[in-house]
Amino acid sequence: MTEASMIGLLVATVSFGALLYLAALGELIAEKAGILNLGVEGMMAMGAVSAFMAALEWGNPWLALLVGIVVGALTASVHGWFTVVMGAEQVVSGLSLTILGLGFAAYTGKNVVGRPPGAVLAPVDWGPLTDLPWAGPVLFGQAPLVYLAVLAGVAAWFVLTRTRIGLALRAAGESASTADVAGHSVVGLRFGAVAVGGGLAGASGAYLTLSLTPQWAEGMTAGRGWIAVALVIFGAWRPGRAAVGALLFGGLLALKTRLQTFGVDISPILLSMLPYVLTITVLIVISVRARNRPSPSPAALGTAYRREER
Amino acid sequence: MRRPALVRRERPLRGGQPLAFAVGLVVALAVGYVLLVMAGHEPMRVYQRMWEKSLSDSDAWSLTLNRAVPLGLAGLAVAVAGSMGLWNIGAEGQILAGAMGAAWVARIGETWSGPVLITAMLAAAFLAGGALALVPAVARARIGVNEIITTLMLNEIALRLVQWLIHGPWKDPESHNFPLTPMLPDQAKLPTLFGRAHWGVVIAGAVILVFAVAASRTGWGYELRVAGSSAETARYAGISLKRKILTVLLLSGAVAGLAGGVELSGTADRLTEGISNGFGYAGIIVAALALLRPSGVAFVALLFGAVQVGGQSIQIIGVSASVSTILQAFILFGAIGAGVLSRYEVRLVAGRAGAEEGAAA
Repeated sequence: MTEASMIGLLVATVSFGALLYLAALGELIAEKAGILNLGVEGMMAMGAVSAFMAALEWGNPWLALLVGIVVGALTASVHGWFTVVMGAEQVVSGLSLTILGLGFAAYTGKNVVGRPPGAVLAPVDWGPLTDLPWAGPVLFGQAPLVYLAVLAGVAAWFVLTRTRIGLALRAAGESASTADVAGHSVVGLRFGAVAVGGGLAGASGAYLTLSLTPQWAEGMTAGRGWIAVALVIFGAWRPGRAAVGALLFGGLLALKTRLQTFGVDISPILLSMLPYVLTITVLIVISVRARNRPSPSPAALGTAYRREER
Repeated sequence: MRRPALVRRERPLRGGQPLAFAVGLVVALAVGYVLLVMAGHEPMRVYQRMWEKSLSDSDAWSLTLNRAVPLGLAGLAVAVAGSMGLWNIGAEGQILAGAMGAAWVARIGETWSGPVLITAMLAAAFLAGGALALVPAVARARIGVNEIITTLMLNEIALRLVQWLIHGPWKDPESHNFPLTPMLPDQAKLPTLFGRAHWGVVIAGAVILVFAVAASRTGWGYELRVAGSSAETARYAGISLKRKILTVLLLSGAVAGLAGGVELSGTADRLTEGISNGFGYAGIIVAALALLRPSGVAFVALLFGAVQVGGQSIQIIGVSASVSTILQAFILFGAIGAGVLSRYEVRLVAGRAGAEEGAAA
């Protein structure tokens, strides 16, 4: 294993980690408010294709990113409307959103498949920092979305744990009727959380088509939305732990294509099962421990709230 | 201040669900119409072709029926678990597991006669589907682990197992390095019924019928409904909840696994990673639209089968097959909206002040 290939692995670990983290953070925020959104894969696809098409149209990568975020949030709003406002079953609505998002993205992106990108978000140049050995390429040579993911993580942690609105949001996820009695709009909080979550999933998708693999192909999200769902559990619904998990799962994604270079004789396909196996394990451990201590899962997760039926 | 709110009707509107379903269909066709116009197609021509290729004559019906088989079995699997308030999101993976099980039997039983081989394949598919549901079932029954996430994760695991088999141990040595398994032997194919329809249609129909009867006419089905509506009542009635959860999730997985076996033996030439093609996820929509009733599942599966067959047929005239995916999702969303309105009505209710009164009461 050469130094260059080791650095390459770390660089890819951080960039894949950020990709997963953005989407996972969005899911985390929605789940904290009590809404399970299994539409991550669909929202990512919508963010990816819309950002790519916006870049082709206007040639401005930042505008394209914004489009990806807005489209992600709008896609999530479909789920928000049906689950938060109408009180529909969250599992069914979320999975339908995945199907809808993947189908819609494939339909609208049909004519731009294989086209060269209109604009890309190039790696940030941090000046002398970027020239550092190891830390330079791994930490200071990444695409802008990696730094945005870090910022978003810190912001999410701060808002959720240190602000009134974060407290209200968590209350909506733990006991909606309590939040309601306290004078908060459960519908507003939950809908907002779902929309913000969709925006982050859209950003993750835009990161794919604007930086990581700047092109559009049907199915290019390749199940990463499911890893994001897994990460929320793996990170026990905490932004910090989810970041650690994102680096771990990102490392596994990065390692997948490099196993042969490292001379390891394990099938990369079997390796890619690990995130899911780990998540099931963590879920079982959480449940066993929940006998003695409170579960980290939001208590009202997955349940609809109708004031009139309180 | 008054605000609109959803208030539960004293009793749901009669015929609410069929009506909701029809509304969903109309909404989907309307949305599809706009999308097709925007992409420069002639919507009526596209819809007409979808109709002709899926429902207009017996050839078309045979294709639709074939499609409805995995959709119906997957929908039934979800409905069986759902009748007890459990979500089996893992039908997609269980279908793959079933296909792997059946493919394995076809490998070792190449020399067996057709009926023996096919029976063994389907039995293996049934068991393999159940086996994939084993961890979620035990974890849910014994320690209360949420089955939604465990079954979902196993979909991705099963998909990678299939990929690994195709790229590795089961790769055809004569495939010139393409990741393909050998073709199934001829006697492993389910015989045809009429047109392109195969015997899987009869198998799926029979399985759905058995469950429909079991759910509505037996003590077992009654106990499931009781356990699903209230754990407390179930305990009073002496129903063992743990055992019910275990058997229902295993059975649900097995039924989905059977779908994989039938799909392999009925319509595929060999095991591929695309053999499930999203049937497991579509099955969840099918079950939801059928309100988790087996008889409803058969009907919705037929409609979704027709939409999927129609969707494939329009590729030839230059329309993306993803139109059918979009239609399926909108049928559901339209029906959810209409379904909610059949059980709730929109009323103007008092705003803030009223809420506080309610809280005090």
